[in-house]
Amino acid sequence: MIIAERKPFAEIKAAVAPYEKILIAGCGTCVAVCLVGGEKEVGLLASQLKLAWGQEGKHPTIGEMTVERQCDREFIQPLGDAVADYDVVISTACGAGVQFLAALPGMKPVIPALNTTFIGVNEEAGFYTERCRACHQCYLGVTGGICPQTMCPKGLLNGPCGGNIQGKCEVNPDRACAWCEIYARLEQQGRLEQIDTILPLHPNGRSNTPATVIHPAYKRRYFAHE
Amino acid sequence: MSKLKEALEGGRFPIVMELKTPKGIDLEGMLAPLKSLNGKVTAFGIPDSEHAKMKLSALAAARVVKEAGGEPLVFMTCRDRNRLALESDLLGAGALGLENITAMSGDFVSLGDHPDAKPVYDADSVQLLQIARGLMAGHDSAGLPLTGSPQFCLGAVLIPEADPVAPQLLKAKKKLEAGVDFFITAPVFDLKKLSQFKQLLGAQSVKVLACVKVSKASEVEQAAQGQLRKVYSLPPQIIQELSDADPEEVLKKGAVLAGRLLKEIKAQNLADGVYVKARGRGDLMALILEQAGV
Repeated sequence: MIIAERKPFAEIKAAVAPYEKILIAGCGTCVAVCLVGGEKEVGLLASQLKLAWGQEGKHPTIGEMTVERQCDREFIQPLGDAVADYDVVISTACGAGVQFLAALPGMKPVIPALNTTFIGVNEEAGFYTERCRACHQCYLGVTGGICPQTMCPKGLLNGPCGGNIQGKCEVNPDRACAWCEIYARLEQQGRLEQIDTILPLHPNGRSNTPATVIHPAYKRRYFAHE
Repeated sequence: MSKLKEALEGGRFPIVMELKTPKGIDLEGMLAPLKSLNGKVTAFGIPDSEHAKMKLSALAAARVVKEAGGEPLVFMTCRDRNRLALESDLLGAGALGLENITAMSGDFVSLGDHPDAKPVYDADSVQLLQIARGLMAGHDSAGLPLTGSPQFCLGAVLIPEADPVAPQLLKAKKKLEAGVDFFITAPVFDLKKLSQFKQLLGAQSVKVLACVKVSKASEVEQAAQGQLRKVYSLPPQIIQELSDADPEEVLKKGAVLAGRLLKEIKAQNLADGVYVKARGRGDLMALILEQAGV
């Protein structure tokens, strides 16, 4: 899922300070799971803003609305309808949701409340770690289910750099060297021959942004060709 | 033909001294050792913003060294260049008459003095060797033909004390397959470990330059406290030998030790030459050569 962190409160407050009517738009999927952008967090941000401005003698209107997903046209229209009563929207979605919302016809200025960080996993409550860089070329079948592009800070494809020390990463000694782990797992599974061959240069051209994917079944609908 | 390659292939035990590229354009300090040592060493190593600390371009420094009469050995990291820049710089090296190239992944940016720089690593060191071989064969990595091909003597890095060692051996095997002419090891203080690693590497035809290094006082102190986080280690008796309250004395003791190691590596045939990290100082290098009887 997409992992995000909330921006510092002072940054959010400063960004919406010029406005009198503020809608906080939550997102009920990834950012709700990682505890930064769901209905509960929208409520917390609204309370924080009310409290902070209350101490300054200000009482702007703050509305709250959380939809299932801000990255899905099917779910964001209610936000488009509700925004007529507000001057600005604070979105607690990831960067994709913020942009989708901001592009709705008649939308007011949208301020992000989060910094989107990575595609990752929920290790334990409140503890998330990165796993995927969405590189358009998955090596996991070859590298024992450990991503050399993501788990190695250098994204090396043909073995470890010279900087690992006792199996720990040069960049962060608290973390295992991805290539030492890849080697150990493949050795344990009797699949070391899979990494004998030199992997070619990564096809970075596929990752040029902004990317588009059209499901094969829908290619005709969107006039896309094989 | 590269003098380094001639010396390696001729079994003449080349000695390569690493120079310190300046953070700026004052070249005097970098070039100082050339005046006193040229003729005593085969080539001069030119790091590529070592430890991810921004320094003068290795290619520019290498050309300056060449014009001053030295044989440069240029390090090229994948850290700061995409494949276009790697290839373009390799062609640049060829055009500037720089024949010796050592391919490295490169220390990560967050370890250096520009921690917010974007790390590149479009290629890894194995792929960079393949790219260089391709240019030598007359084509770039996209398969397009060149008008004039460079010729290189290609090096790569080995870590004799790698732990675990097997992934490092896998990488070494791929570097050999990609066409490396010589390896440079990480600094070696314990010759038994170098010997053991050479056995693991097997009877390869590739040449090896063993690295001997003059440690500075802070490194010796860290090693004494068990805090030295490096890919090599200092045995306790060496820490004791190098320890001194005066940092300059530590360097001199380090040079004496490096000279002794150089002599033993040559005598025991543990490598085909040496790569000396003498902090870029001609006086320390002279002391090393004197101790080694070179």
